[in-house]
Amino acid sequence: MKTKTFFQFIGPSLALMLVLMAAPLVLTGYLSVRNCSLQMELVKAQESTPFGTNEILSHQAKLGSDGKALENCGFVGLDYYRKVLGITDSSAPKASATQPKNEFYAALQFTLIYVFVTLPFVLGIGFLLALGVNNVTQKLKGMFISASLLPFIITPVVAALSIKWLFRDNGLVPYLLSQVGIQVFWMAEAWSARLLIIIYGIWHVVPFAFIVLYAGLQSVPQDSLEAATIDGASRWQKMRFVTLPHLMPLIVFLSLIHLMDAYRVFEPVMVLTQGAFTASVQYLTYFILLQENNPFKASAAAVLTLIGILILLIPLLVKTYREQRGGM
Amino acid sequence: MKQHSKALQWAIYGGLTLWLVIASLPIVWTAIISFRQYVDAFSSPLKWTAPFTFENYRTLWIDKAFYLNFLNTALVTLGTVTISLTVGCLAGYALSRYRGALGFWLLLVALVFRAIPHSSLLPSFFTMFDALGIRNTYFALIFVLVAINQPFTIWMLRSFFINIPSELDEAALVDGCTRFQAFRKVIIPVMWPGVVTTGLFSFLLAYNDFLLSSALTNAEKMTMPAAIANAISAESEALLMQGVAGAVSITIPLIILIVFFQKQIVGGLTQGAVKG
Amino acid sequence: MASAALGLAFGLLVAPAHAKCTDIKGNGDINIVGNAFPVLQHISVAMEACKRRGLSVAVKMTPEARQETERAFGSGGVSAFDAAVVSMGSYSVLRSKGQLQSMTDLVAKYRARYNIEERMLVKFNGEVMAIAFMQNAQSLYYRKDIFDKHGLSVPTTYAEMVATAAIIKAREPSIEFPIAQTFAKGFDVGTEFANLLVGNGGRFFKVGTAEAAFNDANGVQAIAVMRSMLPFMTPNVLASNSDDVMNQFQQGKAAMGVLWASRAARMDDPTASKVVGKIAFAPAPAVVAGGKSATHLWWDGVVMPKNMASDRDTVFQVLMEALSEDVTRSGNDTAIWIRSAYRPTRFATGVLESIAAGAPIWPTEPFFGLAHSEVGKILPEALVGRLTPKAALDAAAAAYTRSATEQGFIKAPAATAASHP
Repeated sequence: MKTKTFFQFIGPSLALMLVLMAAPLVLTGYLSVRNCSLQMELVKAQESTPFGTNEILSHQAKLGSDGKALENCGFVGLDYYRKVLGITDSSAPKASATQPKNEFYAALQFTLIYVFVTLPFVLGIGFLLALGVNNVTQKLKGMFISASLLPFIITPVVAALSIKWLFRDNGLVPYLLSQVGIQVFWMAEAWSARLLIIIYGIWHVVPFAFIVLYAGLQSVPQDSLEAATIDGASRWQKMRFVTLPHLMPLIVFLSLIHLMDAYRVFEPVMVLTQGAFTASVQYLTYFILLQENNPFKASAAAVLTLIGILILLIPLLVKTYREQRGGM
Repeated sequence: MKQHSKALQWAIYGGLTLWLVIASLPIVWTAIISFRQYVDAFSSPLKWTAPFTFENYRTLWIDKAFYLNFLNTALVTLGTVTISLTVGCLAGYALSRYRGALGFWLLLVALVFRAIPHSSLLPSFFTMFDALGIRNTYFALIFVLVAINQPFTIWMLRSFFINIPSELDEAALVDGCTRFQAFRKVIIPVMWPGVVTTGLFSFLLAYNDFLLSSALTNAEKMTMPAAIANAISAESEALLMQGVAGAVSITIPLIILIVFFQKQIVGGLTQGAVKG
Repeated sequence: MASAALGLAFGLLVAPAHAKCTDIKGNGDINIVGNAFPVLQHISVAMEACKRRGLSVAVKMTPEARQETERAFGSGGVSAFDAAVVSMGSYSVLRSKGQLQSMTDLVAKYRARYNIEERMLVKFNGEVMAIAFMQNAQSLYYRKDIFDKHGLSVPTTYAEMVATAAIIKAREPSIEFPIAQTFAKGFDVGTEFANLLVGNGGRFFKVGTAEAAFNDANGVQAIAVMRSMLPFMTPNVLASNSDDVMNQFQQGKAAMGVLWASRAARMDDPTASKVVGKIAFAPAPAVVAGGKSATHLWWDGVVMPKNMASDRDTVFQVLMEALSEDVTRSGNDTAIWIRSAYRPTRFATGVLESIAAGAPIWPTEPFFGLAHSEVGKILPEALVGRLTPKAALDAAAAAYTRSATEQGFIKAPAATAASHP
C-alpha cells in the first residue's frame, strides 16, 4: 500500500487520537506545571442570613472591570509534583511514624498489589474454566459460556454495587460466613476492604481469560496430542508439553491486557470503600480533580500515573518492537 | 474426551456449577431485592423472603423517566460503535496492508494509548470542552469514547484483516479498482465476523462507561451508569431502591446480548485476535 | 416511542398540582444542580414541573453537587448550570470568589408574586446573593422505647452518651452497637470533628486570619471523644455514611446517635423503617457538661452564577416556583423550612432545642472547606490509632496550609503548622 493511500485510510482514526488523546496529554503536562489563584483581600462586610445579621471579616476576590474575579496564573514548576509525592521543603520534618503515608505512594502501592495479586488468579481460574467447559457435552457448552461471561460484561459500577450489597453489615455473605463461625466486618480494616476490591477484580476479569483461553483450546493441534498419546504421554504431560506451550502467546496477551486494565482500577475503589483505607492511582487523580477541584494538582497526579504505566509497559513495548519489526 | 473417570467428571461439573453460582450471585441477589421495599431489601437480619413489589421499577421508569437515561445510553452507544467501527475498519485495513515502518510505530503508540488511565485525560477535557462550549453534549462524549476506543479497535481489526489474504484485494487492484473500491468490494463482504466481535467490545466500553460519561454530562444527557450511581448515593431510601432497580434494568440488555452473541464472541476470538 | 409517551403521560399525572408556573414567559434550557436528599427531591419535582414547550428544566441531583457547582460557576466560559441549590458552606466559597450574581432587582420585581419573605434573603453588603429555604443541624436520635425500658435518661453530654451506650450494650440483647454516627472518611467524619472541636471551645482558624488553629489541645480532645465512642459503634464505622447510619436506626440496630435533622421524618415511614414511632429527637449532646449543643446550624438556599447561560428572569422564576408556600406545606416534614408557612412537628424538636441552646452557625470562612476536607481525609488514621491525634491534626493543618496558600487565602508561604510542634 502506498504511503499516501495509507494516510487517507488511517487519517480519521489518527486525527481522533491526536485531538482527543495526544493533545489532551500535552495539555495535561502543561497544566501540571501551572497554577491559578484568585487575588483575595480581607474586607469588612455586613452579612444577613436566616440566623441574623452580622459584621463579618471576609476574604473576597478582587474583581476586574468585567465583574470577573482577577486571577494570578503562572508557572509553578514542579511544585505540584512535589506536593503529590509528599516531598516537602527541607525545613519540614521527614516522613516518620508520626507522619501520614503519602497518598500517591499508598495509591500506587495498592494499584500494583491489585494488578499482580489478581493476575495469577485470573489466569489460573480462567484456564481451569476453559479446560472444564472444553470437556462438557456440546449441548451445555453454550449455556455455560453465556452464563460465565456475566461478570465480565456487566457494567462495572453496577457490579461493584451488587458486591457491596452482598458484603454489607448483615448482608448475605457475612450471614453465610457467620453460619460457619466466621465474623468479618469487611469495611472495618484496610486488609478486608482491600481484599474485597481484589475479589471484585478477580471475579470481573476471570471470564475474559476463560473465553480467550477456551478459544485457544479450540486450535490446539490434534495431531500433536494424538502423537503424544501414542508415545504414552500422561494427561498431565500432554497438558504440560503440548497444550500450555500452544496457549503461551495467549497467556502473555491476557497478562498484558490485564496489566493495562487493572492499573486503571477505579469503580470498585469508588463504590466499595469510597476511598476509605485504600485508593488507586486513577481514583486519586479523579478525587483531586472532582473533590478537591484542583485541575493543576490533578494534572500532576495524572502525569505521575502515566509515568507509572509507561514503566510497567516497557517490557511489553520492547517485546512488541522485536516481534512486529520481524513481521513487517 | 470419553476416557475421563467418573470422579473427574463430577469435579468438572461441580467446579463449573460453583463458578456459575459465584458469577451470577451478585446480580441475582440484586434482582431479588429490587422487588422489595427498602425496609426488607436492606434488612438486618437478612430476610430470605419478603412481600413482592414492582414499585421500585415503576417509580424509576415512569416517575423518574429512566427511559431518558436509557435513550441517552442507546444514542451514545450506537454513535460510538458506528463511528468506532467505520473509522477503525479503514485504519485497521490500512495497517494490515501497509509495509512501511510508520505503521509499526503507530501501532506501538496505540498500544501506549490503550494503557492510559482515562482520568488522566479529564483535566484536559474539562479545559478544552469548556473553552469550546461543547461540554455536556452527546457529540463530545461520543467522540471521546470513540477516541479512547480506537487503539484497541485498530489493533483488533488489523489482526482480523491480516488473516484475509492480501492476494484478494491485490487482484482487485490489478483489475483496475482503486484501493477504496478494493476495500469495499473485496474486504467488506468477508470482514463481518471480525467487525461483530470488535463491535461487541466497543459496545461494552460505551454502554458500561461511568467515569467519562458521568464527568462530561449533566442531568438530561446522563447515561444509565451515571444515573444509577447518583441514585444510590443520594441519601434517600426511595432513590436507593430505584438505583437497585436501575442496576437490574441496565443488566438485562447485556444478558440478552451475550445469549445472542455468545457464538460470535468465541468464534471471533478464535479466528482473529487470538491468532493475530 | 409508545413507552416514552406513556411515561410522559404518567409524569404529568404525578406532577404536583401546586407548581403551575403560569407566569413564566421566558423560554430556554435551564440546568440546575443540587444534592439529592429528600427535601431537595421535593423541590426539584416542583422545578421540573415548570417544563413546557420551549422551556426545559433539568435538575442534576448528585452527591457531588458541591464540587460540580464550584467547577461550573468558576469556569472561564459559560456555566454548565444556571442555578444551584447549595448549603451555606458552598455559598461562602462561591460568594467569596465573586462568582454569584446579585438577585436584588429580581427579588424586588417578584417579591409580591412569590411572597418572598425577608428571613429567606441572604445578603452581603445589602445585595441579595442567595435565597434560603431551609435550616438544618444534627440532632440526637434515640430509641425512646429502649430508654424507657431500662429507665435511662437522655444524654446531654458525649460522656453521658458513652456511659449510656455501655449500659444498653450490657442490658439490651437486641442492640449490639448502641451508637450510630457518620464517621465515614471525608465530609462525614470531618463534620463530626467540627462539631466536637467547636463544642469543646476550639476554633478552626486564628481570629481574623486563614491560619490553622484546629491542631491544638481542643482538637486532640475532640478526637479523644470520637475514639471513646468507637467500642459502641459497628466496626464498619469508618465507612458509615448517613445512609448506613439511617439503616442502622431504621433496622432497630442502633439506640442513639447524632444525625442530620433533615432525615428525621424517614424514621416513621413503614416502607423504610422497623422502628416507626419509636425514635425520639433531642438536642445534640454537648462536649463539656453545661456547654452548648455540639452541632452547627446550616441553611440551604438557591444561588445563580455570574456566568449563566439562560435568561435570568426565567431561571429566577423557576427557582421561586419551587420555593413557594405550597411546596413548603406539601413537604412540611421533609425539612425545617424557613418560610412562616412551616409548622414544626416532632421531627424538628431536636434542632429547635439546639438553636435555643445556642448552637453555633457553620463556619462561613471561604477556606473552611479546605480545612474540613483535609481533616476528613486524615482523621480515620487517628481513629484507628495509626497516627496519634496530634500528629494527624498537624498533618491536616500542614496540608490545609498548602492548599490555602495555593488558592490565595494565605499570602506568603507561611511556615507550616507541622514545623511548630
